[in-house]
Amino acid sequence: MPESDAIRTEGLRMVYNPGLFQARKVGLDGLDLDVPRGSIYGYLGQNGAGKTTTIKVLVGLQFPTAGKAWIMGGDIHDARSRRNVGFMPENPYFYEYLNAREALDFYGKLSGMDRAARLRRADELISEFGLSNAKTTLLRNYSKGMRQRLGLAQAIIHNPPLVILDEPMSGLDPLGRRDIRNVILSLRDRKQTVFFSSHILSDVEEICDRVCVIHQGKKVAEGPLASLLTGRVLEVKLSVSGLPAEKAPKLDGIARRTWHDGQLLHVVVDSDEKAQAAKAALEGAGGILRAMEQHKESLEEYFVRVTNAGQPAAAASVTIAPAMTAETVTSESKKG
Amino acid sequence: MIVPTLAMNTFREAVRDKILYVLTIFGVLMILVSRAIGYVSFGGEMKIMTDIGLASIWIFSGMVAIFIGTGLIYKEIDKRTIYTILSKPTERWQFLAGKYLGLLLTTAVNMALLSAAFLGYLWLCGAYISIALVQALFLTFIEMTIVTAVAIFFSSASTPILSAIFTTIIFFAGQMTKWVVDLGDSQELKQSAPWVGKLLYGAYLVLPNLHNFNIRQEAVLATHDSMALAIPMNEMWACTIYGMSYALAMLLAAHLLFSRRNL
Repeated sequence: MPESDAIRTEGLRMVYNPGLFQARKVGLDGLDLDVPRGSIYGYLGQNGAGKTTTIKVLVGLQFPTAGKAWIMGGDIHDARSRRNVGFMPENPYFYEYLNAREALDFYGKLSGMDRAARLRRADELISEFGLSNAKTTLLRNYSKGMRQRLGLAQAIIHNPPLVILDEPMSGLDPLGRRDIRNVILSLRDRKQTVFFSSHILSDVEEICDRVCVIHQGKKVAEGPLASLLTGRVLEVKLSVSGLPAEKAPKLDGIARRTWHDGQLLHVVVDSDEKAQAAKAALEGAGGILRAMEQHKESLEEYFVRVTNAGQPAAAASVTIAPAMTAETVTSESKKG
Repeated sequence: MIVPTLAMNTFREAVRDKILYVLTIFGVLMILVSRAIGYVSFGGEMKIMTDIGLASIWIFSGMVAIFIGTGLIYKEIDKRTIYTILSKPTERWQFLAGKYLGLLLTTAVNMALLSAAFLGYLWLCGAYISIALVQALFLTFIEMTIVTAVAIFFSSASTPILSAIFTTIIFFAGQMTKWVVDLGDSQELKQSAPWVGKLLYGAYLVLPNLHNFNIRQEAVLATHDSMALAIPMNEMWACTIYGMSYALAMLLAAHLLFSRRNL
């Protein structure tokens, strides 16, 4: 595998055999992944798409039916390769009879750290993750947010070059999500690779360099966010003053919808061309254009489009496809 | 370092679990009330105390191995604590070995406490502390190495309740292996239902021969002389080697079940 890849999979396939008289379920279907080192890589998919299965295969919790995978150049079947990996499962669970310091000491030992390094790093992480006030509290008394932070701390205690996180922001409040986001960004600053799955697409959009979308165990889109979200315009909204509802021109065949809020007339069209036509018509009727906003395809809309349930074949053609960020362009009319 | 780390953590888990204290306290109480039972019996007060004390240590150590051991692996999977362990550079055999040694350490500490209470109480009551007693306690511990391995084996493949039932059956069936083979050898059975005889012989081969480790009666009878042996030392070693081999075989079987299991 190329040295530049933190994770690489080739034709990874996972078939579950639930037992007699039950249909076999395909968890992964020939998955090929290349995760470059030093990137924040978002791994997206609907529930049951195969995200957690992929992650479990990568960290040695499940065994693929076929295919190969490497992490930081080491075969996933070799336990030594996991020295280079930190993993946080979804909703991490810990031994409830331990406190944070004991738990981190335990995970540091399993990661092969010496005593002095373990204790120093445990104290450092407890402080960094805001657990200092609860460092002697038994983990059974921890809140979900505290467990999540401890989960991340145990994953990075040995400073691994690759950190794999399964739904790290799931169930967290906005402040908790912000904290986790900041930790992920700081890992990238330290040249560590972060591979994480998430349902919270706004977070992915905000921090990821690359994303991969899987659907029914297959990769349906992959690439740098900038190349996926190319700015496809979904809607343009024009806001016009000086035009009461009864004086508004007919925009049949142009406007998707119009409404008047008492001060401004709002018109929504579905392309830039139609926006120009609507602008001309509205200004011609005596209106003053106050704002024109473009709504470009967001990651969420892109995700919905490529995973359009039940149509993986159509979506499969999208690899490096047009997509977009939400971008707003506001312009003031010169007409006055 | 991984196996001792997991073993110590398993031991810590057991130490912080109430069930260990409950069983240990009950064991000590049984030892203490043995004298009262001795009083109301006719003659041989010390023998009854010794008999009850050794039996209490055996049964309560077995209960610790069964009740704690049968949930050990299952709980890790059910509560998903295993995810953060096996995703470290930990081999699955190391995980099983760590769990096993941790439980064995727990059983050993429990046995040590009960044995200290038992021998101390005997000494206070003026009885001999014979080598035979130490032999009996040692073989009880070797028996526990097997019971613990059986508990781990079932726990790696089944629920705690089923594992506890299966391990308890084996714990008691293992005491009767001599009777099982004698029954299978009986002329009546050979003539009326030879296949039952073969089945019983098969069970004899598979079940651990825990009867070998029961030298409690011999130890009780040898209490008059502190240097008397319950069984010769070569038999002791043979039992020890057999016990460790059986425990190792059970752990290998557990590894076969667990090594490719999807979690």
